Amino acid sequence: MKQNYYIFNNGCLRRQENTIFFEKEDGTRNVIPIENTEAVYAFGEIDFNTKLFNYLAQKGIPVHVFNYYGFYSGSYYPRETLNSGQLLVKQVNHYTNMRHRLALARAFVNGASFNIVKNLRYYNNRGKDLGEYINAIEGYRSRIEESGAVEELMGIEGNIRNTYYKAWPTIIDCEIEFERRVKQPPDNMINALISYLNSLVYTTCLGEIYHTQLNPLISFLHEPGERRYSLSLDLAEIFKPIFSDRIIFTLLNRQQITNKDFMTEVNLCYLNESGRKTVVREYDERLKTVITHKKLERQVSYRHLVRLECYKLVKHLIGEQEYEGFKIWW
Amino acid sequence: MDNSIAHLKLTGTQINYYFLCQRKLWYFAHDIQMEQNNDAVYLGKLIHETSYEREKKEIDIDGTIKIDFIGKDRVIHEVKKSDKVEEPHIWQLKYYIWYLKQKGVEGVTGKINYPKLKKILDVVLENGDMEKIETIMVDINRIITSPLPPVVNRMKICKSCSYGDICWV
Amino acid sequence: MYVIVVYDVDQKRCGKMLKLCRGYLHHIQNSVFEGEITEAKLEELKIKSRKIMREEDNDSLIVFKSRNEKWLEKEIVGTDKRPVDNVL
Repeated sequence: MKQNYYIFNNGCLRRQENTIFFEKEDGTRNVIPIENTEAVYAFGEIDFNTKLFNYLAQKGIPVHVFNYYGFYSGSYYPRETLNSGQLLVKQVNHYTNMRHRLALARAFVNGASFNIVKNLRYYNNRGKDLGEYINAIEGYRSRIEESGAVEELMGIEGNIRNTYYKAWPTIIDCEIEFERRVKQPPDNMINALISYLNSLVYTTCLGEIYHTQLNPLISFLHEPGERRYSLSLDLAEIFKPIFSDRIIFTLLNRQQITNKDFMTEVNLCYLNESGRKTVVREYDERLKTVITHKKLERQVSYRHLVRLECYKLVKHLIGEQEYEGFKIWW
Repeated sequence: MDNSIAHLKLTGTQINYYFLCQRKLWYFAHDIQMEQNNDAVYLGKLIHETSYEREKKEIDIDGTIKIDFIGKDRVIHEVKKSDKVEEPHIWQLKYYIWYLKQKGVEGVTGKINYPKLKKILDVVLENGDMEKIETIMVDINRIITSPLPPVVNRMKICKSCSYGDICWV
Repeated sequence: MYVIVVYDVDQKRCGKMLKLCRGYLHHIQNSVFEGEITEAKLEELKIKSRKIMREEDNDSLIVFKSRNEKWLEKEIVGTDKRPVDNVL
């Protein structure tokens, strides 16, 4: 499996001698083996030039850029090499035809909320009393199939998430102050963690879409244009409970992340560098973790699960097999 | 030649996939390719690129067929990695010979080179092959123009196939 | 898979080998590289190295393979420069 590189230092990233060098401000340098690189995450203040971008495009390597607070700014997405006109037409059709669009949007909410409930059940079986939240979410879930419009579905999804987040103080052992999800900007530790990890999940989904013939701009649950690559948002829904939320619970319950890892300004809370590094290491570890895939009967990494989700979407779009969102079974 | 067959413009890869796996044939024809991320395919490409470097490589004819290289006495060569499934390779070459024959080039024979195995396989058009190729072409056209990929059973080769994940997920 | 690659080539070709290997693995010591790599990329590295090396000078490259980094017990005596880290 190719590696992600996460750059926190300030410096300069450039092409040199058929690979890439990262030179820190103090002059020390790291060599990044280009042939084995999946993506570059730029957290520090980094200089790039076009020679580098041309090289990265040639190798199909995206760069994800984050601002001073560690909030996601955007991605350099190399020119697409895998295109299928016939698949694109089908993808567009599935967006414009309301019945088709709804079917896919439902599948995303269904898969995402299944994984949410699974997380709750996991902790419910470990002595946390989460029964009322599980029941409430199951109630919302039963309305997914009868929802008649994407907006309605988004409403159900919102209710599920709100209920889910209310359960978090019970799941997390340490004292936390967390009532509701606040984005842009996050106002407390949990919201800061969610924002940060969700942006990592989004970039992972984007990277995997890049390796398929799917077009990242056309989405079904989210409105295209909501974010540039909105199909990533759709896919991320499925994987956030597995990749993002589980890491948050683990990091906080093991006290690998504490108050010391955050910075607060007026109405703004964000992870400091050591916090970001801890999270990124845990996330990277998670992506590489392998499980035995029941249907494929072979070992696949968590990251590869995202690719497989893309393939399932392709099969749905061409009319071969109805899409069902990935459901965690462990 | 029957005009309806001539305009099909089938590639050697399509003939190959027809014998290898008809799902792969369909996906490939719809530009849903998997090769880019499969180790085995990448290795095959590497062998292709690094063996027989001295011979002239990849002769493109009409933008339809690509012959790896042409040797002496009208022998066309195709380089392959493994001989685990020989039939698709053989028919790919037979198709090239047939194609050249349609263009008026007679007396062509073929050789399949397996550089890793140090093995060479001779291919000639036999009695009945011409007709068989024409039937195959019509059948390929039927498969790739149908709306859905054909259903196939799990085969031994699925394990190392780059399409395995999309087929069985 | 996780590999350690070492080479011993005539000093005229040391630079070329260094540049080649840096594109694939992490340089941990003189003529020694380490890292996660796919089977195909390793094959590519071997093919490219063959083109650099010369038989008459007894050039060679050795690959130690492990299925997973975890199965490789590594001990560093002296300075740990953490050359294989992907968090920079």
